[in-house]
Amino acid sequence: MRYDDVILRWAKIATILFTAMAVVADVFGVIITKYIAYCWAGIFDMPRLIALIVIFYVGTIGGYTVLIPLLKMLNNMSKDKVFDRANTKLMMIITCALAGIAVDCIIGGFLWNGCWILSIVAMFMAVIVLSIRVVFVKAITMKEEMDLTI
Amino acid sequence: MIVVNLDVMMAKRKISSGELAAKIGITQANLSILKNQKAKAVRFSTLNDICKALDCQPGDILEFRED
Repeated sequence: MRYDDVILRWAKIATILFTAMAVVADVFGVIITKYIAYCWAGIFDMPRLIALIVIFYVGTIGGYTVLIPLLKMLNNMSKDKVFDRANTKLMMIITCALAGIAVDCIIGGFLWNGCWILSIVAMFMAVIVLSIRVVFVKAITMKEEMDLTI
Repeated sequence: MIVVNLDVMMAKRKISSGELAAKIGITQANLSILKNQKAKAVRFSTLNDICKALDCQPGDILEFRED
């Protein structure tokens, strides 16, 4: 097995594990949010706790919107469909989801300061994915031109 | 735009796509791309082979037309 195939396999395993973690976070969402609210954020009133729970669940929806396209993209790559328009579409979905998570965390930042850090991380990741998408789009355009050179 | 008049030259020389593709050493699918104006570029070597096979000049195959 080639080195990049090994990386692809481990990336897929990691993505599946992260998806499982998101599912667990969804199941125990209320407990996790209560822990964050009481122990870290110092939130004890009900309205702010509910707002934090809503922000948490919106964040996990964003997480699924990142992880499922990522898994699809890794599957495409393991089928040797690398420079494909389908992958750039998936990257766009991932970027939009990351931007959504960033916005969600910015709103959450008004309740708990820790959300600001998550927001910055999400924005940084969105910029990276967007940059890689630009590289892919350029490579696809060049490949198409090469394919149509007789 | 550049128009490829390969089918006109092929009709004049009474040569089929399969025959021409075999003579110049490209696939029929690629020859079809060239004939249907879908090609983005033509290599000089391919143009040379086409001109040799059809006994013509590059100007007989390629033509500039206003859009």
